[in-house]
Amino acid sequence: MSDYHFSEIRPGDRRAVREMETLLKAEGISKDGNLEFSVGLYDEDYQLVATGSAFANTLRCLAVDSGHRGEGLMGQIVSYLVDWQFRRGYSDLFLYTKTSTAHFFTDLGFYEVARGGDKVVFLENRKNGFARYLARLQAETEASGLKGSRIGAVVMNANPFTLGHQYLLETAAADCDILHLFMVSEDASLVPFAVREQLVRAGSAHLGNIVYHYTDSYLISSATFPSYFLKDSETVIRSQAALDTELFTKIAQKLGVTVRYVGEEPFSEVTNIYNEVMAERLSAAEIALRVTPRKAQDGKAISASQVRQAIHDGNLEVLRGLVPETTYSYFASDESRPVREKIQQAVEVIHY
Amino acid sequence: MEILKAAMAGTLESSDAQVTVEPGNQDIELSIESSVINQFGRQIRTAVLETLDRLGVTAAKVTVVDKGALDCTLKARVECAVYRANGITENFPWGGDIR
Repeated sequence: MSDYHFSEIRPGDRRAVREMETLLKAEGISKDGNLEFSVGLYDEDYQLVATGSAFANTLRCLAVDSGHRGEGLMGQIVSYLVDWQFRRGYSDLFLYTKTSTAHFFTDLGFYEVARGGDKVVFLENRKNGFARYLARLQAETEASGLKGSRIGAVVMNANPFTLGHQYLLETAAADCDILHLFMVSEDASLVPFAVREQLVRAGSAHLGNIVYHYTDSYLISSATFPSYFLKDSETVIRSQAALDTELFTKIAQKLGVTVRYVGEEPFSEVTNIYNEVMAERLSAAEIALRVTPRKAQDGKAISASQVRQAIHDGNLEVLRGLVPETTYSYFASDESRPVREKIQQAVEVIHY
Repeated sequence: MEILKAAMAGTLESSDAQVTVEPGNQDIELSIESSVINQFGRQIRTAVLETLDRLGVTAAKVTVVDKGALDCTLKARVECAVYRANGITENFPWGGDIR
């Protein structure tokens, strides 16, 4: 048996990065723009024979040189990365791979969650992880006691909750019997999730037919949709949006959702592409996509980016015109100081 | 011993097993993935449960991805994962709880 050794591939090591890109390309994978850690497995001649990377709670860009198949090298790469993820505290892990190679990973303790288009497969290291998530959504729905045949869904990050979000929820809630509201529960935004949830609930408390859910890692998360939070190319956004929509479709089918409501997107490029991809794919699954025009203030559509800008500039008067009273009183209070400071220190508050 | 945090030991290489332990509710929730589950599933289960019992672990979520590990390997991986879950990485009780 030949000797292989691991070596971290640092972004600054151009030669190693080039080798990694060549290997990925040969295996039909393009290197993701956002990676936090990459590792290579080298043979005794210092040739790269296998590689893998990690970003947040995912493993990605995994490839083995075609001349070294059948040596169990992918097992070594995955072991290494899983160990690394555990040591930094991530234990619910997700993995992306091509459809043609998915079966290798099912032998390495990963289970298929969904396929985005015919190219990408999304796996997790929990047996029944997604099934359990779906069961929880159903339990939450039953606990709400709401009944009805017209069932809709909204997914929102609400970073933070604005009059625009409130308007979308009011419009959607008036249009259906039960409205499932998925709050992006991953903490990847400027406003922490605990605060976002509090403001969403406070600003929608007057609507009686909402069931609140968390998205966990299954919708708009660093696992399914990293380019929502970090800039990437349009092709990458499209493929991730497709996967996210696929997961949403599975959730919608479980809950009997027939219509999804989104706000029209005049500002953010990534949300705009996301809406486009959804429109295409949801109709195939017989789920309607309702695009609600944005609520305008002084002739300008309201967006959370503007709200963050107002907080960034410390302009409470502008803020007051853009958000519900509940959100305003939070940001005007002392309690919100750490959050305000974080937004004020941020270099970029506008969603790209 | 209690499982204080999620921890892992072992690899996915042939003849090894990757054992993950996480804090659990009241009992041992064991999930085994193995290429030889039909031949050795019961034996793997017994080896893991016996080891956990000896270490006094009564509540945990345990995941084993087995690649054809021998019993001694399985035991070693379980012990290592449990001790890591307690932040113990040296001065093991050789001959005591670990034997």
